[in-house]
Amino acid sequence: MRQIERLSFVVLALIVSWAAVAAVQTETASPQPAALPQPPERYGNTPDRYMPFGHFAEPYKRFFLEPLEFLGPGREKPEPEGLKSIKIGFLGPIEPTVSVATGGASHEEVLGIKMLQGMQLAFEQANARGGYRGRIPYELVVRNDNGLWGSSGNEIIHLAYNEKVWAIIGGIDGANSHIGIRVALKAELPWVNTGDTDPTFTETKIPWVFRVISDDRQMCYLLADYAYQKLGLKRVAGLRVASRYGRVNIDEFRDGSRRLGHPLVTELQYKVGDTDFTTQLERIKSLDVDGVVTYGDARESGLILKQMREMGMTTQVFLASDRIVTDEFLRIVGDNPGPVVAGYPYDPTRDDPKLEEFRKAFRKRFNEEPEQYAAHGYDGACILIEAIEKAGLNRALIRDALAEMKRYHGVTGDIIFDAIQQDVTPASLAILEGGKFNFYTREQVLGSAEADAREASSQSTSPTL
Amino acid sequence: MNRKGGHLLGMAALMLMATACFSDEPPGAVPVAPSGVGGQGSGVGYPFVYENWEVFTTENTKGRLPNDHIFALKADGPRVWIGTEDGLACYEDGKFKSWNKKDGLPWQVITGIDVSPLTGDVWLALFGGGLCRFSGGRFEHFHQLNSGLVNDVVYGVAVQDHTIWAATTAGVSSYDTVTGEWTIYTEKNAPMEEIWCYNVRYNDGKVFVAVWGGGILEWDVKLKRWRAHVDPDGEMEIDLYRDDGLIHIITTAASYESGILWASTYFGVSRYDGRHWRGYMDHDSGLVSTFVNSINSRDQEGWACTDKGLSAMVDFPTDTWVTYKKNEKGNDGTAIVSRGKQVIKTVPTKGAIPNNFMIYVEFHGDDVWAGTSKGLARGIGRGRWVGVRAEELAKPAEAPQQGGSEAK
Repeated sequence: MRQIERLSFVVLALIVSWAAVAAVQTETASPQPAALPQPPERYGNTPDRYMPFGHFAEPYKRFFLEPLEFLGPGREKPEPEGLKSIKIGFLGPIEPTVSVATGGASHEEVLGIKMLQGMQLAFEQANARGGYRGRIPYELVVRNDNGLWGSSGNEIIHLAYNEKVWAIIGGIDGANSHIGIRVALKAELPWVNTGDTDPTFTETKIPWVFRVISDDRQMCYLLADYAYQKLGLKRVAGLRVASRYGRVNIDEFRDGSRRLGHPLVTELQYKVGDTDFTTQLERIKSLDVDGVVTYGDARESGLILKQMREMGMTTQVFLASDRIVTDEFLRIVGDNPGPVVAGYPYDPTRDDPKLEEFRKAFRKRFNEEPEQYAAHGYDGACILIEAIEKAGLNRALIRDALAEMKRYHGVTGDIIFDAIQQDVTPASLAILEGGKFNFYTREQVLGSAEADAREASSQSTSPTL
Repeated sequence: MNRKGGHLLGMAALMLMATACFSDEPPGAVPVAPSGVGGQGSGVGYPFVYENWEVFTTENTKGRLPNDHIFALKADGPRVWIGTEDGLACYEDGKFKSWNKKDGLPWQVITGIDVSPLTGDVWLALFGGGLCRFSGGRFEHFHQLNSGLVNDVVYGVAVQDHTIWAATTAGVSSYDTVTGEWTIYTEKNAPMEEIWCYNVRYNDGKVFVAVWGGGILEWDVKLKRWRAHVDPDGEMEIDLYRDDGLIHIITTAASYESGILWASTYFGVSRYDGRHWRGYMDHDSGLVSTFVNSINSRDQEGWACTDKGLSAMVDFPTDTWVTYKKNEKGNDGTAIVSRGKQVIKTVPTKGAIPNNFMIYVEFHGDDVWAGTSKGLARGIGRGRWVGVRAEELAKPAEAPQQGGSEAK
């Protein structure tokens, strides 16, 4: 009897519901234009087609849409007196070591040294202006972070409690950076990262963390759109380094491929330092692919491409991370690299007096050209200096000043920070043409293809998990 | 009818349908069934509320509490051990005693404490300083270079019989104090997607490790087997369904009591009874904030240390919560009693948690100890009852003097 009552109730509710919907539809037919709902703010500029479970369900909760806050005490602490320098901790890979993380030798020193140089230049320029508020010089306390697993944690402890730095800047390796920011959270220490493109780095809700470089979420969206919508690729294979960088940073490309209906046909790995990729490439060749995506360093990626072409895989598009955009890669791949494209966090060729001024200063100081880690390191250091000058010597207030910064015009362009304090500036696409990389915006490379894709995405019934 | 009105009517109808389809109760019934002492059949019930708080700071204890930044607490018989950012303290019989590097403490930042019920040894997790055993007035130091400790950044420590578990930033180490054998658990021999361990606790034959980026790992002592609890949707930026499992894999602590696992994250709290998961966020429950630094449990209560106060889920069947907050002005506070998200009563408290940025909570008999970013407090639990009961809230107990007057 109770079931019948319940059924009757459901039928009644359905009728009422139908009547309500009909009323709305009638209203829609009215000539009076109805106000369109505001599009919801979306995390990470994620297009609809890349939304997790986008075609199945509205998530119970979307995270990272509200600004992070630090609600603890500390802002009342007075500025100390008698300081001889304003210490800022640097943490990055600068010395070669044995690395458990990569299964052998460390490999990121070449990137970390450039990052350090960019930061050194910024602090030297600040000191030339008189240092902190024209009174006290800045001092960069430099520490290496690419030792054994977890060594970065020990270094940050010492920076926080022994050196008593006001903030930490640096970080390239995703694992070391994650370890570092957990320490920074506990020690309540601002952290400005300028080299870790792991999307999950800032997806931890730590209010002390800031990232000044577009991440692999931004770069992968553009790379996937270009691969599948512009080039029309259908069968792409993955070949990436067997490290946390390879595993995590390729995530958005892997997921994006699946969501667009073209899941990677395979995903193979190699070890840092490998030179022969025949086994993996033979497997990939047998799968009749039209593209190969790699996530790894310039040297290994260059060797993979070279061996691909030597094996007769001449038409496959070579898709890669920003780490291939180097002279080393170009030297390895030689004169006939075939189609090559990579995501890149900014456009280093754009016409900007600020960028040109930085280039000149960097060349003068280090007698070499700056690259992306130097440029982002410089921007990160300038942003931190600006925050310290504004806030004074108080870690919580420095954090607040950083959090207030929503936009910044730096040498890497117009930087946009989102609610969780990460750089969501649109990425660039680096396309190898005539022996050099040219850089393009999303609009330049996709144009009408993007609009078509939006239309297709809105009508698609293909599963997007 | 305008568009908005149509939508509202439609939504109301759909809600009625949902109620009819998924609830065993007829529409209009009030699903409040009090549990616990005195609660049977009495309609609306109320939980015990800590109305009196005793506050301790470095200032009001004249330095006997060595630092106001409280990271860890552990009740131990008549004592409460306190780990701070600058030393170890012990509260017993109304007196504080403290130790720092000058007393032999190897490193001043203490992020975890546990006590061996077998030996009485006090084990300390040192934030960047390794692991330490405090026994017989001596500090014995274990670190990466003299032991099997996998990393010196130790966030938590737990004693399981004669085995000591250390949650470090690069995996878990366990130390058998009888055989002297160390075992290291990382991604190579445990189901850790990441190895950044944030907290470890032991109870009832299970060790639980909160892994930052790896969810909760459960070690069955008898079976010597790991089991991983992760976020089923596998995505960082969403929670797909409320009760499908752990809210998020960025976990900060786990606590296991009376067969209930509680897990804290920076995205809310999860409760698991061995069969069903339940997720709590600030928009759907009495949890005051989703930023939860740690969690501890007692009986079937889950106490969440958030950045906006201390929220306790005190009665699961009635979804009853009590949140303790310090008032913006003065030294007193407010206890907010809610059923789900709906506030049913606010109770002024004499004294309060000294800061709403809660870091750790511990239970000492019926008392509750609250460690914050800026001081320590004890909630007086005289007359405490479990769950909810029909009686009106307890009469305010005789309040002790504020400001740590018992500190000698």
